[in-house]
Amino acid sequence: MSPLHNLSEETLILLLKKKNQQAFSYLYDNYADSLYGVVCRIVNSAEHAEEVIQDVFVKIWKYIDLFDEDKGRLYTWMINIARNAALDYRKSKSAKDELKNQPLSNIVNREEEQDRSQNERNAQADFIGFKNILDNLKPECRILIEMAYYEGYTQQEIAQQLDIPLGTIKTRTKAAFLQLKTMLKDYR
Amino acid sequence: MDIEAYISSGIIELYVLGLASEEEVSILNCIRQNNSAVDLAITEAEKMLEDLAELQAVAMPMPLKEKIWTRLKSENLITEDEQSDLGPIVPTVTKQPVGELPNSIAEEKPTEMVPVRTYGWAIAASLLFVLSAGANLFFYQQQKENSQMLAQANAQLDSQQATLAVLQDKWTLVQNPAIKTISLKGIESKPDLHAIVYWDQQSKAVFLSLEHMPLPPKGKQYQLWAMVDGKPVSAGVFPVAAKAQMASKMLDVAKAQAFAITLEDEGGKPAPTLTELCVMGSI
Repeated sequence: MSPLHNLSEETLILLLKKKNQQAFSYLYDNYADSLYGVVCRIVNSAEHAEEVIQDVFVKIWKYIDLFDEDKGRLYTWMINIARNAALDYRKSKSAKDELKNQPLSNIVNREEEQDRSQNERNAQADFIGFKNILDNLKPECRILIEMAYYEGYTQQEIAQQLDIPLGTIKTRTKAAFLQLKTMLKDYR
Repeated sequence: MDIEAYISSGIIELYVLGLASEEEVSILNCIRQNNSAVDLAITEAEKMLEDLAELQAVAMPMPLKEKIWTRLKSENLITEDEQSDLGPIVPTVTKQPVGELPNSIAEEKPTEMVPVRTYGWAIAASLLFVLSAGANLFFYQQQKENSQMLAQANAQLDSQQATLAVLQDKWTLVQNPAIKTISLKGIESKPDLHAIVYWDQQSKAVFLSLEHMPLPPKGKQYQLWAMVDGKPVSAGVFPVAAKAQMASKMLDVAKAQAFAITLEDEGGKPAPTLTELCVMGSI
């Protein structure tokens, strides 16, 4: 999509495995902003997001030798490293909060959920050029993708918190992707 | 498995979002290796999330590039271009981080999952493969049995239909009011034998069915005789190819007082061999 992505995944993998400055430069210039966007959506403070994104690059750099191109796409692999690192950070942070404060209720109803997203959105105003494509999705689809992809909830947790059956999660996720697909086409 | 239904079930979307259970993931990985449509659907869904990441990119704070590069250097994760000229140093420098990998994997939680999961998938995939091979064998054998049974049933049906056709044939003969039915009974030495002659009184046509007669030995044929005024007149031989119980058309007989059957050499004889007399019946 970006004009800078002019290397095929195959070439990029070969380049990264060389582990030289040229490889790092290419990786950073082409992928840093997207990966940072993912991290920012999960870690809602600029200060902490900066910490996490550094770790993400170190991990990509370290584990590129373990990447198996037969099993998936490099870009997706990198995004998932960013997601996992940010989600882990989020978990450890909320664990600390839980120790400090009174225990959080497991059940969050829809209103609280929306309030929370509103707060997060205000926090996200910290970031330069923050664009939330998902806002254009139907609310019930958006919340599913956000909870799964950016908040790391499991199917069971989502079903509990939104009070919907597991089967509905599957069909709504499918619907969300169909919507997203048409939306993304418009952006091209 | 119905691949279309599998693809449209939403499982692929759950997978790319990280929502699929480990069991679902291992099944999906096994299927994608053997089915390009599933593989393509996964790649498409992944590309969508890549596009989303691209569109939702956030500009990195400026100094970070230099900062990360310095960190990689300090952690000895760089292959310096100058070093490649130094020859022997290269292996030790580049090998160090690789040697460190197992430790760092144990320390760092998210990436710890990578190799473990990979083995998990491999094991699950092999198990699935063995299961599916077993299932294939089982279904193959069952299918073989089924087709044998089907062939048997078909053969049975064929023979029953043939019998029915014979009976229907005879039934139409018997129903015809012009037909006279003459029962030919076994002679004293062969009391079980039985044959029936259907004689059309109008057209003079004669039909013969061997109800209970042993199959003639090779080279022999049953020959039907009409007794006309005390003299035997040949009414033809019973066709070798015909089914015994089928009413086979013989030669026309204009006038007769009795019928008899002898066992003769193939093709029949002009005069009956009386020692080979099997059945007879008078009108």
